[in-house]
Amino acid sequence: MARRSGDVGSPPRLVVVHCPDWSVVAAGAPASEPAAVLHANRVLARTPTAAAAGVRQGHRRREAQRICPSLQIIDHDPARDGREFEAAVRSVGQMVPRLETTEPGLLTFLARGPSRYFGGEHEMAMRVGQLVVEAVPALATETETGVTGRLGIGIGDGRFTAGIAARHAARTPGRQPTIVAAGPQPTRAFLGPLPVAFLRDVAGVSAELVDLLQRLGLRTLGSLAALPAPDVLARFGPSGAFAHRIAAGGDDRAPGTVAPSPDLLVSRSFEDPVHLLDPLVFTAKQLANELHAMLIADGRVCTRLAVIAETEHGERSEHLWYRPTGLNAAAITERVRWQLDGWIQQSGGPSGGSGGGSGGGSGGLSGGVVLLRLVPDEVRPDNGTQLGFWGGRSVADEWASRAVARVAGLVGEQRVFVPAWRGGRQPGDTYQWVSVDQADVGEPADRLLAAEVPWPGQLPAPSPATVMSEAVPAEVLDGNGRVVRVDGRGEMSGTPVTVSVHGRDVQTITAWAGPWPLDERWWDPQHHRRMARFQIVTANGAALLAVVENQHWWITAVYS
Amino acid sequence: MERVSLQDRRERLTQLVPKVGPVAFARDRVLPVAPALQPLLPEAGLVRGSVIGCRGSTGVSLALAVVCEASAAGSWLACVGLATLGLRAASEVGIALERLVMVSAPVRGSRDTGEMDVGEADAGEMSWANMMSALIDGFDLIVLRGASAVRPGDVRRLQARLQARGAVLVVIGDPGPFICDITVTGLSSQWEGLGDGSGRLARRRLVLSATGRRSPRARQVEIWLPGAHGGIEPTTAVPTTAVPTTVATPAVFRQTG
Repeated sequence: MARRSGDVGSPPRLVVVHCPDWSVVAAGAPASEPAAVLHANRVLARTPTAAAAGVRQGHRRREAQRICPSLQIIDHDPARDGREFEAAVRSVGQMVPRLETTEPGLLTFLARGPSRYFGGEHEMAMRVGQLVVEAVPALATETETGVTGRLGIGIGDGRFTAGIAARHAARTPGRQPTIVAAGPQPTRAFLGPLPVAFLRDVAGVSAELVDLLQRLGLRTLGSLAALPAPDVLARFGPSGAFAHRIAAGGDDRAPGTVAPSPDLLVSRSFEDPVHLLDPLVFTAKQLANELHAMLIADGRVCTRLAVIAETEHGERSEHLWYRPTGLNAAAITERVRWQLDGWIQQSGGPSGGSGGGSGGGSGGLSGGVVLLRLVPDEVRPDNGTQLGFWGGRSVADEWASRAVARVAGLVGEQRVFVPAWRGGRQPGDTYQWVSVDQADVGEPADRLLAAEVPWPGQLPAPSPATVMSEAVPAEVLDGNGRVVRVDGRGEMSGTPVTVSVHGRDVQTITAWAGPWPLDERWWDPQHHRRMARFQIVTANGAALLAVVENQHWWITAVYS
Repeated sequence: MERVSLQDRRERLTQLVPKVGPVAFARDRVLPVAPALQPLLPEAGLVRGSVIGCRGSTGVSLALAVVCEASAAGSWLACVGLATLGLRAASEVGIALERLVMVSAPVRGSRDTGEMDVGEADAGEMSWANMMSALIDGFDLIVLRGASAVRPGDVRRLQARLQARGAVLVVIGDPGPFICDITVTGLSSQWEGLGDGSGRLARRRLVLSATGRRSPRARQVEIWLPGAHGGIEPTTAVPTTAVPTTVATPAVFRQTG
């Protein structure tokens, strides 16, 4: 029996536990050193030291390195983040039922029950904070020594208010939670003076709308909330009405969000207990596809999902996962992987260790997994996305993005690439392939925008159509059968007459030109390269781009 | 009375529309192709659902030349097995890099990488065919290299899917079990601009020949690929498109006897 999970206007009282820079904590970067986790060339998370130096989330790599030259760059790994966060989830989960994870580093749960049990919201928040730092020792020393920005706990009415409160708490020293008193009046008083940018950062309202609001002079949430609701809806449409509602402290759940009927679930039990992670994730992918197909047949999308796994000895892992934009099949699979990976590693206690053989052994679990179940907890009608008529996203773009997502699910994100501008003098340097987990397929401007700087020394067009991923060793001989050498001044020991690639297939050279010297990064002893480039046409019509480096010949590209 | 009959007529007309409406012929469902290559193709474009083979040592350049115009016109392009593609050359020939995606997935399983488990022994090949169908669903243009290892069963499914979705598949090198509607071969290529220790590669004169299942005679064309700026240019020696539109001279009757 479907029921409303709450009336609009009376948002539930929630506790949000937020680690703003979880990715660097998960990567094990010590707080005393400047380090940052980058995703798609943008800073995602940074250590307090890097933050103190001025590195902000959203900075580009170069910008961050300019501000903080000693910055250590760590690659983004969502699986690592999810796995490491599992310890905190389990620790808090011992005290609090129905924890939901939005993403690694962000936990939400209902405040009412636990606060009564612990004797007040403040006591509960302090206890939860203690549980989190016990599970993640890296956070403990820092919160006590007064480093801010690592962990915050906020309590408020609704996800939006509690989320902002948690961010506020993370910025204040110590482990004191920020508690917004219950009721619409205190909530409005708390939100009123805050900037509208929180709508984008916390509630996921589109950046364009927030930008428009700012340009219209609506700089605070209070000024937006003061407008009449019908006028906001008329001017800004549904997303504006949503922003207005949450700015006024209203419910942030989409209208029409319901708990689905209890028989809507997918589950798979294994006759033979499964000990490995990968087959479980493979099964989870099938289940996720099944569930997704069931939901879209009704035009619905799941925003909160329970993932349940049980071993043959009754050990159980159950989590709620929340995603405001809806969980598609790929997102579900990813979350199952995070949860199971963390479970398998953490349940063994300290012996599990981090990073050791993920997906390998069954860690500390006493038996194999016999049951995997996905239960939607909250579904809402799927509004989909509206495509632009002119400009913007076309139907072809949308189809291609979907195909890319599907292919990435089939062969792995590391095997699907898009071009990105990088700049350089060698043919393979100007553009490079980056995998789609590092770049956004639908936002090409970001990755293809070439800097307006010349690259003197670049060979002019036409460019070679085939660029070797690794240079192929070759041998270029003069008329006397000796290898042609190029000295430091660009003088050649003889005229090239024959070329053989890989020591076979000797071809006569019919035309050639060079040497064009290239001296790159002479200031950097590690990446310093000195070479001379040649273009060679052989008797069979092939045109090659060859380089001499340290008196060795290499073929780097073919004009195929 | 008059009004009712007008209503009736309108309804009957609406019913007739789908019956007498224009039919989309195969030659209308084409993607654009560079003007210099139009003489090669019977429909002067890439017929949706067709497979085009590019043979010879210049296969990669040829494939880029075949798809560049459609890519620039807004179609998305997926490359499979082309990790060594020179992206600068691709952008010079006119391919829209913002609509280019490359998948590096070998045809014969993924077992060599050790990522798959023993239980998924066939999953590599399964997922290769699934990946290709996913690409066909989302992309107008697919360039594939290394088709010789594909299983004939997969090919039949993929070609049916191509027809249904209206995508164009360009196969570089040996097409394997794929049946090409048109095969473009580079007959001879000659580079210009490079001397004996002087100059630089400037442009390449390429003689192309196209044979097809439906075109009995081979069509030939001579182009610069790449031209002086990396693009495709028709050679002036063989005027391919330059048929001057002459003003029809009025017929003059000769006066006889």
